[in-house]
Amino acid sequence: MKGKNVSVPQGNVIECNDSSSDSDASPRANKLNGSLKSGGKPPTHPTFSKGGKGDQPGKSGGKISRSSSEPFIPSTPKINAKEELPKDAERLMDCEAAEILQGIQDQLVVLSQDSTIKLPRSFDNGLRYAKLGSHYTSALAVKQVLETLKSHKVSDEEICLIANTCPETADELFALIPSLKENRIRIERAIKDVLSELAKLKSGDYENKCT
Amino acid sequence: MFFHIVLERNMQLHPRHFGPHLRDKLVAKLMKDVEGTCSGRHGFVVAITGVDNIGKGLIRDGTGFVTFPVKYQCVVFRPFKGEILEAVVTMVNKMGFFAEAGPVQIFVSNHLIPDDMEFQAGDVPNYTTSDGSVKIQKESEVRLKIIGTRVDATEIFCIGTIKDDFLGVINDPGASS
Repeated sequence: MKGKNVSVPQGNVIECNDSSSDSDASPRANKLNGSLKSGGKPPTHPTFSKGGKGDQPGKSGGKISRSSSEPFIPSTPKINAKEELPKDAERLMDCEAAEILQGIQDQLVVLSQDSTIKLPRSFDNGLRYAKLGSHYTSALAVKQVLETLKSHKVSDEEICLIANTCPETADELFALIPSLKENRIRIERAIKDVLSELAKLKSGDYENKCT
Repeated sequence: MFFHIVLERNMQLHPRHFGPHLRDKLVAKLMKDVEGTCSGRHGFVVAITGVDNIGKGLIRDGTGFVTFPVKYQCVVFRPFKGEILEAVVTMVNKMGFFAEAGPVQIFVSNHLIPDDMEFQAGDVPNYTTSDGSVKIQKESEVRLKIIGTRVDATEIFCIGTIKDDFLGVINDPGASS
């Protein structure tokens, strides 16, 4: 188990500099993304596109009289991660998480002679997912761009969601994060600016997937 | 969504591990015990990123084991209602489909799949639109929204929907074939 122990010296966080955090490390990542974000064609499915009243999923209903009309979807679900997690919990964008987890995995490769070091399956799953959601070249730059939204009272959760979903247009963003709709008029300008900045930071890999 | 959080845990160590490598032993045990576990409150512990502090040990009466309070940092994955995830479909049946996003499993009921997508049985069960332009089958990648979570001691299970704007298939492995 020397593996991580070596690199977890007294009370310090493992240094996980970005090393090879790009999503292109993953074959799965290369595969992702084809159509949704590509070529300005928002959803692959025709009925997903704008005019639809997608907000009422229970509505499909008629078919089965089961409990299907049910519980769901408050029209503007508010993500309240903080209420359930410790106060000092820090949200990570997928691209940040990918950098951290990739750093840990790289350390493991270096120390792989020690057969007692094994990462659980959930680590691989987590890393793969983080890489899939990592659409940008630099997590730090993305964070700096998105920080500007804080002055418009956009919450940290919403900021993370914007980074993770990587929307192309303001309409897409407001559709995916309905809690922002309330202040749409006030923040739309800022959102558009942020999206245009984020577009510049998209990884070449991601762009390729989109084309 | 991933979070970086600080947690605490009391670790019990057998006296045979005492010595100059006690700290290493404790950290190794911590990683073994904690990584890959799931708690309803914190979600899946994906990886421990650091150990902040190991407190003074307390000998337990009768056993000789010593309990050390350990404060550590870790990356956890915790899904929330309203969150948008990109997930890989793992199983399709007439009730809906299952998908995985990281360590989390999500079920999308057929009521939460657009009405014009019909279930097609066969070797590769799938949901397809009438014109065949969109297909959801195993290995498809979908963007979905979490609308409910069920949490128990060891797992978090989510219910998702793709019946909303800008949700749905983002990559269909069968499309290229």
